[in-house]
Amino acid sequence: MIEDGTKRQIDALEAENAALKEELEESRRSTTQYLQNVAHQLTAPLGAIKWSIEALKDEAVPIQRKGKLLSSIYSQGTILVHLIKNFSLMSNLEADHELGQFRDKPERVDPLRLAINLANDFQPQAAEGGKKIYVNENSFKEIFDGTSILVVKNLIAQALSNLLENAVKYSNLRTAIYIEAQEVKLPEDNELFLAISVRSIGIAISSHEIKKLHNRGFRGSTAKQKIPAGTGIGLYIAKRIMDLHEGLVLVRTNGNETIVLLCFPQSRVQ
Amino acid sequence: MTKSNGIILLVDDEPWLSEALAATLESKGFSCVFATDMTAGIKALEENSVAALVTDIMMPPGSQFPHVNANEVGFHFIDYVQKHWRGLPIVCLSVIGDHAKIHLLTRKGIRYLRKGETPLSTAVEVITAVALGRKVRI
Repeated sequence: MIEDGTKRQIDALEAENAALKEELEESRRSTTQYLQNVAHQLTAPLGAIKWSIEALKDEAVPIQRKGKLLSSIYSQGTILVHLIKNFSLMSNLEADHELGQFRDKPERVDPLRLAINLANDFQPQAAEGGKKIYVNENSFKEIFDGTSILVVKNLIAQALSNLLENAVKYSNLRTAIYIEAQEVKLPEDNELFLAISVRSIGIAISSHEIKKLHNRGFRGSTAKQKIPAGTGIGLYIAKRIMDLHEGLVLVRTNGNETIVLLCFPQSRVQ
Repeated sequence: MTKSNGIILLVDDEPWLSEALAATLESKGFSCVFATDMTAGIKALEENSVAALVTDIMMPPGSQFPHVNANEVGFHFIDYVQKHWRGLPIVCLSVIGDHAKIHLLTRKGIRYLRKGETPLSTAVEVITAVALGRKVRI
């Protein structure tokens, strides 16, 4: 005969076990969905490149169309390289984060030059949707005043690329995307940061969703409806990179306008 | 080149794939019109006399169908088209891996081509055949 107390314990353990099983099942489901999503993200640009090459080889396709196909191959190549870099960074960043140190040595980087180079990189992709990326050079001159930021260049380039990729992807057709520099003072402790921001007009993000945007794999509901395919790792990686630089990623919205900022502590501005 | 073979409607939110397909179809005498969501796809069908529809599954629903899940839009779109444009040949070009769903599509008379795996020449051959009412031998 089992005593009441023991039976209660068994019931509690069984309930806990069932909850854990359900959690595991949910985790399996989301991993499967995530992997399918990743596969789709890789397949789509590769498929486009393959088809563009096939069309280029077709003598019946007029030469004017072939120029556009070549631009498409370039854009898809950029998307692929960027995507693969993000995936390979994911594991490295976790390790760096645990160690609290960089794999590579930080170097002095001109933030304006970085912004211009990345804007040029994403311009063809933006042009496909009639969008254009502008770098507000005056804001960089005013805020950074010719100084550099002491950072791991590849990592910061990837963080800014992720912001630009999101802006190009989610902004409205035929709109402008701005890369600017600005000062950011945190209200809680008045700490001053110098930031590189990416501003675009597109999807309205709720305050509830803003809090989750840095979570790995999270994508806003409106974003998923507008662009079904996506990995939800761009801002997560940007945040990990900025954490390593003692910096921040801030997201500010005003209706359909979204501004995402990479904030550098003054100790990194030299 | 005269575009005498008819109009093909390409519905996909990833236009770079449609670009290569359209370039090849147009070189074979078709005209192509594009739409990037379900709402725009229906509008294009209303405005054009379309010989065949090529559609993706995962794409935005557009303003007329805000509550349709983006991952399933193509299925709703195909049902809508089959109801309102009876007999219009449809080719589904997607990456869905769920065999039950693919089977459902084929039972409705839809040709399913897997994105990224089907060669462009095969896709063009299938689309040409269904648009011209020929039997597809792939």
